[in-house]
Amino acid sequence: MSPQTAFWVATAIFILAYALIVSEKIHKTIVALMGAALMIVLGIVTQEDALHSPELGVDWNVIFLLFSMMVIINIMRPTGIFEYIAVKSAKFAKGKPFMIMVVFSVVTAVISAFLDNVTTVLLIAPVTLLICQALDLDVVPYLITEALASNIGGTATLIGDPPNIMIASKAGLDFMAFLNNLAPVVVVILIAYVITLKFIFGNKLTVKENLRQRIMAMDENEAIKDPVLIKKSLFVLAITMTGFVLHGMLHMEPATIALFGAALLLLISGIKEPHHILSEVEWTTLFFFIGLFIIIGGVVKVGLIGLMSAKVLELTQGNLFATSMVVMWFSAFASAFIDNIPYVATMNPLIIDMAKQLWPNLQGTALLHHPDLMPLWWSLALGACLGGNGTAIGASANVIIVGMAEKMGRPISFKKFMLYGMPLMIESVIIATIYVWLRYYVFMI
Amino acid sequence: MKARDLMVPVNAFLMPGDSLEEFSKNIRIIRSWEKTCGIRSLPVLDAGGKLVGILSMYDILKAVYPSYLYKTDLSLFTWDGMLESLATKIIGMKVGDLMTKAVITVKDDHPLMECVDHMLKNRISTLPVVDHDGKLLGLIFESDVFFAVSDALYGGRP
Repeated sequence: MSPQTAFWVATAIFILAYALIVSEKIHKTIVALMGAALMIVLGIVTQEDALHSPELGVDWNVIFLLFSMMVIINIMRPTGIFEYIAVKSAKFAKGKPFMIMVVFSVVTAVISAFLDNVTTVLLIAPVTLLICQALDLDVVPYLITEALASNIGGTATLIGDPPNIMIASKAGLDFMAFLNNLAPVVVVILIAYVITLKFIFGNKLTVKENLRQRIMAMDENEAIKDPVLIKKSLFVLAITMTGFVLHGMLHMEPATIALFGAALLLLISGIKEPHHILSEVEWTTLFFFIGLFIIIGGVVKVGLIGLMSAKVLELTQGNLFATSMVVMWFSAFASAFIDNIPYVATMNPLIIDMAKQLWPNLQGTALLHHPDLMPLWWSLALGACLGGNGTAIGASANVIIVGMAEKMGRPISFKKFMLYGMPLMIESVIIATIYVWLRYYVFMI
Repeated sequence: MKARDLMVPVNAFLMPGDSLEEFSKNIRIIRSWEKTCGIRSLPVLDAGGKLVGILSMYDILKAVYPSYLYKTDLSLFTWDGMLESLATKIIGMKVGDLMTKAVITVKDDHPLMECVDHMLKNRISTLPVVDHDGKLLGLIFESDVFFAVSDALYGGRP
């Protein structure tokens, strides 16, 4: 195949695959795997490229990090620890409706910063439904605010949200870098979020006094199923988190740390047959990533991504502040409507290519961590993660919440979700914009 | 034995437009009439007598039960009166709204082992028996199949 033909074939596979993923006519994992298979079958990339090349192939760092965290959660889930936390939170809020909304949002945000957002929402939402039923409250505002909070919280750390995991791996940024650069602004965004909720819901939610007694009568200790396994899990989680904090210094990838945590918990949990723990791993999600990485590898190889990055630089005339603003706002709106995972998978090589055009003499860490490039990574992370809040399909947590509400006979329309999600998303991106501008372009710290 | 040897003729059925109260009433009447106990469901026939569904106690309980309790252990935190208050959400629903539409049936000349297979794999206690044209001939109840096993072991019923 001539380079010219290869370029158009790869571009066609890429566009077709993304169009099918957006249309949801065929399951996204099937589309991604088919696209990947075509890239290899048609000789755009070799199998060697697809499976082993750090530049063009599957990012196993992302896959193993996600896999390991899923294993840890699958072991922890049946212990009752999450139900315990949620019931305890509702009691801490004294059964007061707005306080419950705030406490649940904050708890969701904090848990989401360390666990996958979908998992967090799947753990918190059932308790929310029960609490709302006990208090005779409309569950819809609670579910929506939790989904939004989980996306905000997930933005704070390397492991909080898949875009961050992908950016960290491609850009070689460590856990502490994410914590230092993203967590501060996420805290501000979360505070602003809670204040905004106060304006929207503050005085609207009321509850009868006798119903509050139902909450106060709940004994969270009853939720604990396996106290020994909880202790073991928390021990392993503590080791894993310490490992994440130190992984830069230890010169280990986050996937290594997480794999060690998962294997250690499997070993000490006393589980004899790991079959059910492993079968509950979300293989569909993992293979979606695998397929996407190979598709992206194809369009990187033929030079499509290079072409796109040149266009972006042309547009912003090499002004990096303008570029980072474009990246953040474009990412936010793109992620509100399409899955942020394929989006970030495309943007990562695009930003790297941009860096190569700007500093052709640099390579490796010197290139990827160029001080002028750093704000671009953070803008991409902030835009792609926070953007998910814009619509009901912007983030997986939103999709889960909408599905749950529908099952409860309280469907949340696309419009209704957007009514809350879009303004709150824009608020958060405005805060992120001011933060990036002040921190990286005014004070330059 | 074949399915037709154990089946009980259909002596009560519902129509999709019937109220759920009709189901409760009929189930009670049948229990007092029939020697076989454990009737948990009724076939639903359309105006032409065609089997269009089956409604069981399980379907009704499932409609009242909140789906979020399924995958959690939160039932520890439920309260007195919750079931009764949630029950009101199916007021006004018709038989056709809650019935299982994809009914598992067995042909009248098929063996009993096939009946047990359907019952165990699908956790159902009533199996409609149909002829080769799909016409409903009768019902097989889990309890009757059990007694067939019991008879095979210990001889006839006392």
